[in-house]
This record gives sequence, C-alpha cells and structure tokens, in this order.
Amino acid sequence: MDALTAALKVAASGLGAQSERLRVVSENLANAQSTGNTAGADPYQRKTISFTSELDRTSGVSLVEVSSIERDPSAFPMEFQPGNVAADERGYVKTPNVNVLIEMADMSEANRSYEANLQVIKQARDLISMTIDLMRN
Amino acid sequence: MIGGIGSIHFKPSVGATEQGAELFQGNAIAGAKDVGETSFSEALSQAATKTVNNLESAETLSIEALKGNADTRQVVDAVMSAQQTLQAAVAIRDKIVSAYLEVSRMSI
Amino acid sequence: MEPVSLFDLATRQSQWLAVRQTAIAGNIANVNTPGYTANDVEPFDKVLDRTSVSLSATQEGHLGFGATNAGLTTKPQEFDGVLMPSKNTVVMENELMKAGEVRRSFELNTAIVKAFHSMLMTVTKA
Repeated sequence: MDALTAALKVAASGLGAQSERLRVVSENLANAQSTGNTAGADPYQRKTISFTSELDRTSGVSLVEVSSIERDPSAFPMEFQPGNVAADERGYVKTPNVNVLIEMADMSEANRSYEANLQVIKQARDLISMTIDLMRN
Repeated sequence: MIGGIGSIHFKPSVGATEQGAELFQGNAIAGAKDVGETSFSEALSQAATKTVNNLESAETLSIEALKGNADTRQVVDAVMSAQQTLQAAVAIRDKIVSAYLEVSRMSI
Repeated sequence: MEPVSLFDLATRQSQWLAVRQTAIAGNIANVNTPGYTANDVEPFDKVLDRTSVSLSATQEGHLGFGATNAGLTTKPQEFDGVLMPSKNTVVMENELMKAGEVRRSFELNTAIVKAFHSMLMTVTKA
C-alpha cells in the first residue's frame, strides 16, 4: 500500500475514533439530569472512552481504535429533592456524576480533533490528485 | 546548388516575437558585418546557447528548490523563462526546417 | 544514493513527502491515545546523503511502503516539552504546520516536474 493511501486509512480511523468520543459525550450530556426510577436507585452513570493504537499489518501504520467504553466510578452527588420518586428516606436523590462543563470542553476537543483528521484526509486526497495530474497535459 | 544557410544574412528585428528577438540579440559580432546584422548561423548559435543557458540555470535552481534551499519566486521565474526561450527556439527550428524543405523543392 | 537527474531527485522528494504525510496523519489520528509518541521522518538531506539503501522491513519503526520507499523510516521523536499525564507527545499545532509544509513542497515538486516534462515534450514533438 503506498504511503498516501496509508495516510488516508489512518486519518479515517482517527475520524471514527473521534466520532465515537463525540457520541459518548453527547450521551453523557443528554443524561446529565437522569435520576433513577425507584427510591434510592442509582442515576445515570457517566461513561468514559479510551483509545489505543493498533499496528495495521497491510499499511504499516498505527491505526487508532476505541479500546473500551467504561463507566466513571466517581461518586454520585446528592441533592435534596424530597418530592422526587428516587428520593431515599432522608429526601436525598443521587444525581448523575456528569459535569456539564467538563463534557462541553471534551466535546470541543473532540470537534477540533475531528476537523484536523478531516483536513488530513483532504490534503492526502489532494496530493494523490496532484500526482495523477502530472500525466495530464 | 543551394548555398549554405550560413551565407544568409539576418536582421534580428525582423518579424520575431519578443523572446525570439531577444534570442538573436546580444553579443555583437565584430568583423566585417554591418551594425545590427549578423550571419544566420551565428544568430542561430547564439539562440541555441541562450536557450541552453536558461535551461541549465532553471535545472540548477529547481534542484536547489527540491532540496529546500531556493527562493520559490526565483525558481518559478527561471523555469518560466526557460520555457519561453525553449518554445521560441523550437518554433524557429520548425520554421527553418520547413523553409529549407520548401527551398529544396523549388525548381531551378 | 545521490540522484542523477532532476526527475530522480523530484521522485525521491515526493516519496519522502508522502511518508512524512503518513507520519503526520498517524500523529493527528492518535492525538488522544495514551502513551503514543509522535513520529516523523528523518530530514531530507540526510536521506540524500545516505549511500546505501537498506531493504530490511523487519526492524521495528520501519514503515514499509514497498521496495521503492525502503530506507525511508519514521522514528519516534524526542519530546522536550511538558509531558502530559497520558504520556502522549503529539502537539496538534506542530502537526498541522508540518502538514502545510508538506503540501507546499509537494505542490512545488509537481509543478517543477510538470514544467520540465512539458519542455521535454515540446522538444521531442514533430
């Protein structure tokens, strides 16, 4: 596989990884207020994503892959909401351990990385075009 | 017998493009020739030399550019002027060849 | 191996640029991968100075893109900035700047080849 095609392949893997990350972030954001359904039940637990790089045999490049999507084990903040269906005997409700500000920052990071990968794809594609154009008069 | 092309005298400003005229100017030929007139073969060799010089400098500059050591605008200018002189030289070559063939077809 | 002609040198440089583009693509894709060190090719003049071309593709760190690109290796770069807790050494801005350089050099390369090629064609036309 020639070098520029390999560049396309690894950039495409980057796109895939970053969009997975965006999916996880938007799931966290959407469920930032999702409490449980029964008394004392656990709310939505924040998800985290981690990447790893895998050496691809055919192209010789390190593709990036999602290694796992884990649940954030940090504690659930307690809020005093006695009317809530999930309130325990003292009236406290466990709320999701999602910090909206952190998720927003993560989202703009993921966007930036996504855009950069897209730029790489455009550039590699343009370089291939330029090479082929040499033959045209 | 058709005389040698070298015996034809040639005025540089006659109907040439700017680059073509430029090819034939420069180096005044000293000797028994009038000012502004050079023999055809000398004019041709001047043109050829100038073309080759332009080509060589374009090639040298391009090699430097590929190694990363040259100013882009200089390279572009050198290559363009090489292309211009080459184009003019080739046009003149074609004209000469076809003119010679035409002359050789004339009945005596 | 010292290239003998302009076209030779241009081909060498475009191969080098393509391998560099791949290294940059790998760095950008792995910007969030823990423990990943940024790769890059060795400088072009060092590639030209090398008199022997090695064909071994078994050494770790070699990107084997076929026999013609043998000898163009990418190596993890030394990092002298502040190391992140994730041990990832990719700086996105540098990678994007390098990508711009690659593009500019590649455009100049193809333009030079195109110009000299068309000059050759002019001369050899009937």
